[in-house]
Amino acid sequence: MSSGAVRARRPPSPPPSYHQSVPRFPPKEGHLDADERRAAASLGYVPSRKSGHASGGYNITPGEWKLLVLLVVAASAVRLFRISRPDSVVFDEVHFGKFASRYIKTRYFVDVHPPLAKLLITLAAFVFGFDGHFDFAEIAKVYENTPYVAMRMVPATLGITTIPLAYLTLRGLDCRATTALLASFFLIFENSLITQSRHILLDSPLVFFTALTVFFWTGFCNEDKHEPFTDRWWGWLTLTGLSLGAVVSSKWVGLFTIATVGLGTIRQLWTLLGDLRVPPRLWIKHFYARALCLILVPVMFYMAMFQIHFLILENSGEGDGFMSAEFQHTLGGRSMADTYADIAIGSRVTIRHVNTQGGYLHSHAHNYPGGSQQQQVTLYPHIDENNDWRIINATQDNHPETDWMNFHELVYIEPGSRIRLRHLTTEKNLHSHDFRPPVSEVDFQNEVSAYGMPGFSGDMNDDWIVEIEKGSKRDSLSNRRVRTLGTQFRLRHALTGCYLFSHKVKLPTWGFEQQEVTCNKNAVMANSLWTIESSDHPHLPSDAPKVNYRKLGFFDKFFELQQVMWQTNAGLTDRHTFDSRPSSWPLLRRGINFWVKDQRQIYLIGNPMIWWLSTASVVGYVALRGFLILRAQRGYKDFENTKVVKYDTLCGFLFMGWGLHYFPFFLMGRQLFLHHYLPALYFAILLLCAVFDFLTSTFVRVGVSKSRRCSQFSLSGISLSLARWRMGTHGQRKNVTKLNG
Amino acid sequence: MADSSPRLRHRRPSSQHEPLPTIDDDDDQPPQDAGSPTQFELLLESPEASMTVVSILTALAFALRFYKINHPDQVVFDEVHFGKFAAYYILREYYFDVHPPFAKLLFGLAGWFVGFDGHFNFENIGDNYTDNHVPYVGMRALPAILGSLTVPVVYGIMKESGYGTVISAFSASLILLDNAHVAQSRLILLDATLIFFLSLTMYSYVRFRKLRYLPFSFEWWTWLIATGIFMACAWGSKVNGILAVFAIGIAVLVDLWDLLDIRKNPSIEQFWRHFAARAIGLIVIPVIVYLSFFWIHFAILTHSGTGDSFMSPRFQESLAGNELLMNSIELRYYDTITLRHKDTKVFLHSHPERYPMRYDDGRISSQGQQVTGYGHADENNWWQIVPTKALPETGRGRIVRHGDVIQLLHSTTQTYLLTHDVASPLMPTNQEFTTWARDDLSRYNDTLFQLHLNGAHEGEPVRSKSGYLRLVHVPTKVSLWTHRDQLPDWAFRQQEVNGDKNPMDRSAIWYVDEITSAGDGEDVSVRSTPQQAKTPKPLGFFTKFFELQLLMLQHNAGLTASHPYASVPVNWPFLLSGISFWTQTEGQKQIYLIGNLIGWWTCALALSLYVGILGADLLAKRRGIDPIPLAVRNRLWNSAGFFVVVWFIHYFPFFLMSRQLFIHHYLPSHLASALIAGAVLHFLLSETIEYPISVRGHSTRLRRRQWAELGTRGPIIVVVFFIALFAAFVYMAPLTYGTPGLDGETSTLSDCYHPGRFTSLLSRTSSMIAGQKAGGMKGLKF
Repeated sequence: MSSGAVRARRPPSPPPSYHQSVPRFPPKEGHLDADERRAAASLGYVPSRKSGHASGGYNITPGEWKLLVLLVVAASAVRLFRISRPDSVVFDEVHFGKFASRYIKTRYFVDVHPPLAKLLITLAAFVFGFDGHFDFAEIAKVYENTPYVAMRMVPATLGITTIPLAYLTLRGLDCRATTALLASFFLIFENSLITQSRHILLDSPLVFFTALTVFFWTGFCNEDKHEPFTDRWWGWLTLTGLSLGAVVSSKWVGLFTIATVGLGTIRQLWTLLGDLRVPPRLWIKHFYARALCLILVPVMFYMAMFQIHFLILENSGEGDGFMSAEFQHTLGGRSMADTYADIAIGSRVTIRHVNTQGGYLHSHAHNYPGGSQQQQVTLYPHIDENNDWRIINATQDNHPETDWMNFHELVYIEPGSRIRLRHLTTEKNLHSHDFRPPVSEVDFQNEVSAYGMPGFSGDMNDDWIVEIEKGSKRDSLSNRRVRTLGTQFRLRHALTGCYLFSHKVKLPTWGFEQQEVTCNKNAVMANSLWTIESSDHPHLPSDAPKVNYRKLGFFDKFFELQQVMWQTNAGLTDRHTFDSRPSSWPLLRRGINFWVKDQRQIYLIGNPMIWWLSTASVVGYVALRGFLILRAQRGYKDFENTKVVKYDTLCGFLFMGWGLHYFPFFLMGRQLFLHHYLPALYFAILLLCAVFDFLTSTFVRVGVSKSRRCSQFSLSGISLSLARWRMGTHGQRKNVTKLNG
Repeated sequence: MADSSPRLRHRRPSSQHEPLPTIDDDDDQPPQDAGSPTQFELLLESPEASMTVVSILTALAFALRFYKINHPDQVVFDEVHFGKFAAYYILREYYFDVHPPFAKLLFGLAGWFVGFDGHFNFENIGDNYTDNHVPYVGMRALPAILGSLTVPVVYGIMKESGYGTVISAFSASLILLDNAHVAQSRLILLDATLIFFLSLTMYSYVRFRKLRYLPFSFEWWTWLIATGIFMACAWGSKVNGILAVFAIGIAVLVDLWDLLDIRKNPSIEQFWRHFAARAIGLIVIPVIVYLSFFWIHFAILTHSGTGDSFMSPRFQESLAGNELLMNSIELRYYDTITLRHKDTKVFLHSHPERYPMRYDDGRISSQGQQVTGYGHADENNWWQIVPTKALPETGRGRIVRHGDVIQLLHSTTQTYLLTHDVASPLMPTNQEFTTWARDDLSRYNDTLFQLHLNGAHEGEPVRSKSGYLRLVHVPTKVSLWTHRDQLPDWAFRQQEVNGDKNPMDRSAIWYVDEITSAGDGEDVSVRSTPQQAKTPKPLGFFTKFFELQLLMLQHNAGLTASHPYASVPVNWPFLLSGISFWTQTEGQKQIYLIGNLIGWWTCALALSLYVGILGADLLAKRRGIDPIPLAVRNRLWNSAGFFVVVWFIHYFPFFLMSRQLFIHHYLPSHLASALIAGAVLHFLLSETIEYPISVRGHSTRLRRRQWAELGTRGPIIVVVFFIALFAAFVYMAPLTYGTPGLDGETSTLSDCYHPGRFTSLLSRTSSMIAGQKAGGMKGLKF
């Protein structure tokens, strides 16, 4: 009921047709009186639209451009000061530097972050001639033959560019120049942003793209209020979409930025929906335009980044183990030659575990230290001749070695076939018996070993019964008999009824940390499925049908990688010495030790004055807003005051940005660090400045001079606190007296 | 809406009954001219018909819940816990559990009433009751009665909310014929109590809301206080009963927000009176009731029992027969003691081996003697307490007291414990502990430690076993601390001990385990027995309460181990998995907690319909179309909205919990969703509502009575649905009652909604039970 009442008094934005009927004069002619205006009209002056509305609502005076240049110079001075020091690896440069070297060597790797920021760093490294041979092995390792300054320049440049963006954004949000200047100073002298910008880290690109998105979005909103569906309107909207794609391609935290823009869009559409003068068709047009630019464009951008990622990383590398067999097969150095589709008694095969990426059924000439002390059977992820097994018929008692050799008709492996698997290099059979396995020592698990000797055909414990679980859709025969790559089957131990099984449990060092293989009486279906990856049979003619892995398209690879990234990300739950929970961030309770060497230290910590002021402004806004809501319920008409409405809209948007970049972290179980707060901090600082704008415009009515004095005062305070903290940021000596002495 | 509000305003002055502004509701727009009800409808809505229906439903509820209640005569699932707790109440032995005591007190009372002597300890799932002469049927009867009574209460909630007999019967039958509710009510489990009191809370609140035009009348107060009391009972039954408090809290906040609206209530004093009344009825009284449960709990459990070891030493000393009470001895200087860490139970240990000069990460040690944590008794755990002040020759002056500064002398190597600003082997942030030769006084200051007894007053003596203490280093203010990480081979993989820079760390707590030899050479056991009377030391109720409450919360959060039947909340409304309570391989019998498939899917469908209806209505309203009459919309928002709040509050918080979760946590939400299903069915069947349902106040206008028009199709649909529901119930009943019948046919049924899991269910469950017999798992909690 209340919304209806309000709507009656304050109509929402009028439709385009309404705009055009309003006469619009250039600002300079704004104070012509009625007579002069009539005279001007008779002289043929047409109300001009162009000069009435700057693109994106950014009315920047020439003087301000000069100011912006000065700001960039100041930001560069702070961020580039001795950027070459320290000349050793700092904190997560361990990872991101390493990824750059992997890109340059085109070796496949898996990381939890999307590729854009890493690609930018790689580009810089590549242009400046990095050969990828430096390994970034540990923090404080001294750089050799690495253009690390160029690589650090990428985050630094983006960090510098963030500052004019913040200025322009606040101007676009209809704040005064003084306020925007104050925001720039806050950002220039924010120690945590400086520290992040000076090293090869992803957070500076993230904050930059977040700022860029907010900038474009503000511009779009201003255009939308002015007149929709102009070229400029489309331009700003598309740029917002591209920038959204960029932010989410830097880090998944960018999804929070998408949520911020998304909520803003929903709000716009809801307002339009309530405007009964907007016909449904026009509303649909609004809807589709936004869906196109804010959903489709970012998705395309994101996928394009991954396409580049896949194109560069074409060779096998340390990330292979995360991916499925089909995926690995697409990487150079891991591709497999076509292999015979038919499997029969006598085939030489490699057997792969389906559910885990542990690899192939493997045995080697080392024995278990406990249990039966027989030869180990494990899963091994790499191609090796110890992965080769021969399928032998277990039902033929006489010379099972030879019968398939002389018997020229192929005997296929069908459900119920009773087979033995002979390990070729050691001439032992796959064997299981009533011993507990070395790691999973529980009742329902039996040990699996390789047992036998050359010439010995084996005992009953070597017998396994094939059960076909499912075949491939591509190969109809694979449902009826075991076929290479098509059939997923289980192997049941003939005597004890347990199933050949493996799970993500590693053997200790005596087993070379390969994956454990057991025989499980209560086997989970997924972990007891096996498939044959390659096969060879002497009696098969060379023109017999061959198969190979399915060629993966981009989308298969893309979705598989997304899933792997998600799982890896969720799995990052180990404690870290410097991790922290979100509740400690707004108060800056602790930082991160980035680098220590020779009595010098780099410690990530914010500028407490900026940090606490921004938190205070968030709390203040919430308290004031709550108070105003209570007053409204008791009949006060605060929300009809244009000033309250203006600042409420402004602060509400920034508060929403802050909240959406902060609260979701509470739901995350993974390890979190202080730098995850930085995007939220950006919004909090803008909110702080909006509050400043409100306070100075409300309480300091004496004039501009006083508000300027206010900002000067706070600036000097910030510079002071920066001076105290910069030691940490720039890696200065820990102990000042030592510097003097 | 835009056009309805001006009409409202216009109409009011013309009303003759309105001398004063009143608390009014948006309901005062009658939906339309509903025709007079038919004879059949009148008959259905008559009190006699209503009574008949509810009697039949209740009788059926009792029949279904008491059917074969004596089967199985074995301990099932969490009866392991809750049966045991009842026994402890009867034996008056102290125990510890994460749940508040109300429901367990009721079980204790039931057990006492039917003559259970408490001498059966419900050790394992599958233990036989008959052989051990346990009157288990009497104890199971309690939840069965409460579970059966839930059905008429649900009927009452719907009826009082203004839905017809038919709709109310529909909602009640969703609970009546639900296999999960039945299975849960037939065993010694807490959920039936929780659900019963939750439904009573909702019923009382609905009655209270209906009296909103007669504020501060006697009935108004009665229902307000009843809401508060029942809410406290739900809260006191189980930890998640606190959600009932939140649900009512939200409803009250919405109510108060309306009262704050200046158009409805111009006087702010009136608002504060309402506020104060609700604070008394829904905060003060429930808290008193909740505390009184704990008061009774402590008053009954006065003897030492299994729960002792969870509690602080002071708490333990308030229990008769407690080991601490019997064995604790005051410490004197020059006594040799062993010091044990509270959380990891290792002894403070040292041996002549030294720290290596350089660790693997390149940091450098002091190369001092190693100080570690060691799990086994050993002479190297012996430390002598050396004073730092002059002592009298004999007497009480030699007693070690809270706040004293002491040195600890390692007996075998004759060195003093010391810590200094050198990083510890594993944690660069913490200080290394080492020892220093006895005769070298150069590091005297670094060997000083201050004793802080937890919660002690000035000058309280330190006692073995009973006092938790911190050892704070005097010069650097770090606390002696240890954690589970092991040192490498050079320290024999013993636990690292270091100095924690947060001296108030909760895990930096130690206690004196034993006095190995007394300083003055006499026998330690002689020392204290005569002086101390071994009577329990009383402890204040609130001290006990807060300690227990804190422990309950901590342990509840700590229940994170995985469990074969734990499930994720997303699956609950769709009934994707259940819990095997009990299996008997011979005869293929099993009790499997799973709801009525038709019932649960109906509820899930109703929820989505509700969201759909309101969503479509909101959109339409935004475009200036009014598809639903105002009164019907208000009924959907206010009445069904209340049920949705209850549903949501009892469901959503589980998404945020990382502890193990089971499908029975959804049962309170399921009850709410059954109510929503009734409301949605009413909306689908009829465009009219019964109106007004609130009791008329002194200054409210007379409004013409409206009838909800259901026609004859309403009863027919509900009867058909009831039959379908009953068929599904009977079909799944073997799983609920643990009767034979789990042949291939039924397991195919189970496979329908439980793909791939059911096949190995029997074997898994039997191995689980085997594990429990081996003393491994102890069922599950919550």
